Amino acid sequence: MSTTASLSISRDDQRTLVVVFLRGAADGLTLVAPVEDDNYHRFRPRLAVKKNEAVPLDGMFGLHPLLRPLEAAWQEGDLAIIHGAGVEDESRSHFEAQDFMEHGGHAAGGWLARFLRTALPASGGPLGAVALAATLPEMLSGAPSAAAIQSIEEFALGRGVPANFPAELERLYAQERGGGSLAAALRAAAAGTFEGLHRLEAIDVKAAPAHGASYDEKDEFARGLRQIALLIKARLGLHAASIDLGGWDSHFTQQTLIEPLLRRLAAGLAAFRQDLGAAMGTTSVVVMTEFGRRVAENASFGTDHGRGGAMFVLGGGVRGGRVLGGWPGLQPELLDGPGDLPVWNNYRNVLAPVLQRHGAPPDALGKIFPDFALAPLGLY
Amino acid sequence: MSTTSRREFLITGAASVALSAAIFKSVQGWLGEARQYVGRGLRRPLSGPLTPPPAGELDPVAHALNRLTFGPGPGDYARVAALGVDAFLEEQLAPEKIADGLCDRATARFAEAWWEPLGEAYEEDDEALTPVLRRVALLRATYSQRQLFEVMCEFWSDHFNIDPGKGDCRYNKIADDRDTIRAHALGDFRAMLRASALSPAMLWYLDGRANVQRTPEEKPNENYARELMELHTLGVHGGYAQQDVMEVARCLTGWTILAKKDDGFSGDLLSPLKDRGKVVFRPEAHDDGAKRVLGQDIPAGGGAGDLDRVIEIVAVHPSTAHFIATKLCARFIADDAPAVAVAAVAQSFSASGGDIKATLRTLFGTPQFRGAAGAKLKRPFHFVVSALRATNAEVADERPLLSYLDKMGHTPFRYPTPDGYPQEASHWFGTLLWRWKFAIALAGNRITGTRIAREKLARALGGESALLATVLNRQPAGGESDACKKSGDGLALLLASPAFQCC
Repeated sequence: MSTTASLSISRDDQRTLVVVFLRGAADGLTLVAPVEDDNYHRFRPRLAVKKNEAVPLDGMFGLHPLLRPLEAAWQEGDLAIIHGAGVEDESRSHFEAQDFMEHGGHAAGGWLARFLRTALPASGGPLGAVALAATLPEMLSGAPSAAAIQSIEEFALGRGVPANFPAELERLYAQERGGGSLAAALRAAAAGTFEGLHRLEAIDVKAAPAHGASYDEKDEFARGLRQIALLIKARLGLHAASIDLGGWDSHFTQQTLIEPLLRRLAAGLAAFRQDLGAAMGTTSVVVMTEFGRRVAENASFGTDHGRGGAMFVLGGGVRGGRVLGGWPGLQPELLDGPGDLPVWNNYRNVLAPVLQRHGAPPDALGKIFPDFALAPLGLY
Repeated sequence: MSTTSRREFLITGAASVALSAAIFKSVQGWLGEARQYVGRGLRRPLSGPLTPPPAGELDPVAHALNRLTFGPGPGDYARVAALGVDAFLEEQLAPEKIADGLCDRATARFAEAWWEPLGEAYEEDDEALTPVLRRVALLRATYSQRQLFEVMCEFWSDHFNIDPGKGDCRYNKIADDRDTIRAHALGDFRAMLRASALSPAMLWYLDGRANVQRTPEEKPNENYARELMELHTLGVHGGYAQQDVMEVARCLTGWTILAKKDDGFSGDLLSPLKDRGKVVFRPEAHDDGAKRVLGQDIPAGGGAGDLDRVIEIVAVHPSTAHFIATKLCARFIADDAPAVAVAAVAQSFSASGGDIKATLRTLFGTPQFRGAAGAKLKRPFHFVVSALRATNAEVADERPLLSYLDKMGHTPFRYPTPDGYPQEASHWFGTLLWRWKFAIALAGNRITGTRIAREKLARALGGESALLATVLNRQPAGGESDACKKSGDGLALLLASPAFQCC
């Protein structure tokens, strides 16, 4: 396989989009709390972030105190926040909303996959996209090539394999003909896996993080971000990476449940930003979740499924230090259905300008997000 | 499994918890030592006809073995070919009549963990129970002769998925496995649904225990009510609305679990150790007003009976028949379940009142099933178990195998969200590398605690080519034989090959 040519990729303008999905529906009103809105404290007598404890952002919002590691990015204008973000799907179902959000509407395959397919030159290569996960997320479903990996070091056949074995295995998959579409998919999956194997052999995985950054090696999320940073810094042509931080479904004793997650989210992202240094200028991190949670807390110190949530856009030249997209307030008559923060910023309007920044031509956006009238937010 | 209480067995009278725990630790230690003896002989004896499949493609016998089981072992093809596919299906639909000595021996060292009564599980080290559950799942799938039953246990474990990592599920998922999944896997869907609704693990996992209405201001916890309709019965497009979710939640208020300490939801119903985990109904936490669920009125004053009304309404709903049929067809026929087969299976489900055996009989009789040979991707658990079965592997320690499954993202009972592991092939293509690594390690006897007797097996089967045909469940194609010779390890190559990933 001709890997030498593709391994020489080292364009300085290589852009990478990292999608962090907070699975389980993260409570946007805790991540980015409208601490100056009296209704907020009325709806959340026990769960509201206290005004004097929040990390102040502007006249209305404060970050949860455990997100303080992100304060520097905010102050340096590298972090933009969008509130009331979400999908038009009203099912309030994790699976339905994640599915809808990852597919980019009722479309085949994922939006990130369609971005990779329509917006990038065909030479994207097998390391065009990785998911730091056991399985590919739906947003990458249908990508030209995308590998689910848990650590770069694991990505090798290992010692003790007979010399001819890999080539014969590669040949068997390349010749796979039976079983119709499954055979074709297996052939493609194997080709991507082999190409990835060849390329990853070139990375020095022992290299320490740059700029004094320090990841919590005990934390799977931080470890994943470190792997993504390695791939970005090695300039192997990585266009997109996906990583999940799950467990936000806080119906019950919300604080106990999500405080460790807030800590991990903030520490991981802060280390990643420091590690990449100047490369953050060409790297965007989008943090999203399937929906927010009900404004009023429930009897079990938790919150039920709601609609609007919060999104973050970090790095990549974003004009940050701003909460974008407006804030109509939490007056009871403005709430949606059983009392939810409405969705006034469709998530596609946040993603579209980011994808444009990452090379999607304007006419490709309609293919990435079909059947939707885009009104991209002014992120840049 | 034994129904003798371990407590009754070990101690009588009022012994202290500390003493009981100490005794238990020593029993555990003894079981640990015993392990070195029970691994031996965990191989199927290679007696009887072992003739491998003669055809170059998957014939109906091979197809049935691929789909109704976790993959054939040496001799299975010959046995089912002699028995006939229909008789094999009937045999598998009556698991209670199938002797299962090998599996019993393989799991004997964990028999203690299937607690009776449940409360005693709470004495256990909470780190120990879930791994036992996972290890036993792997052993049963590998060694049980009741293969279709085990396949269905896996199916329902996904359908009624519970992540034992949440709260007390680490103690009581094991009871859910016994009383919900295994008790009804080939039985009556309505009974399984009711068992699940009242399973302590489910009440924990989907917050049913915290679904209370003690004052008019309190809002019910909707978590279980929603998943009951979305995932367990009607399906997300099954015709329910947000209002139905809220009404079902109201119907189910008041069901909770006896606790050690009151954390606000069990009321003052504290319990002695043996009753811990017991499910009870608290009338004072139940919203006893009138409700309307899916167009049907449930009058006020129903109390605990509201739950039965809800189960009745959702279990026999036409959307439920369609949803369950679709999932079964996706599991056994094709990811994209063929509509004709779904209709037939749904019809059978409805007509039989949710009889799982009758439903499966219809499914396996459809032309769509018969025409689907080789077109499904094995999920990683199926892949690993089928490799162990094909090579007649002897497993003395399941943990290294489970760690491979971790890498492939398919460890039993480790799926975090209530929708269960995905069925579609597209979710699993990223696991190829780990499948290959597993194949290489298994064939090379480099997995700690798992041994295959490769030469002996090949000899018993009648040579290397018979071994390859047994593994593939058909005769290898020219290209496959050729690649096997050149690769330096033909067995590893076939286990890693595209054909072995499919069923």
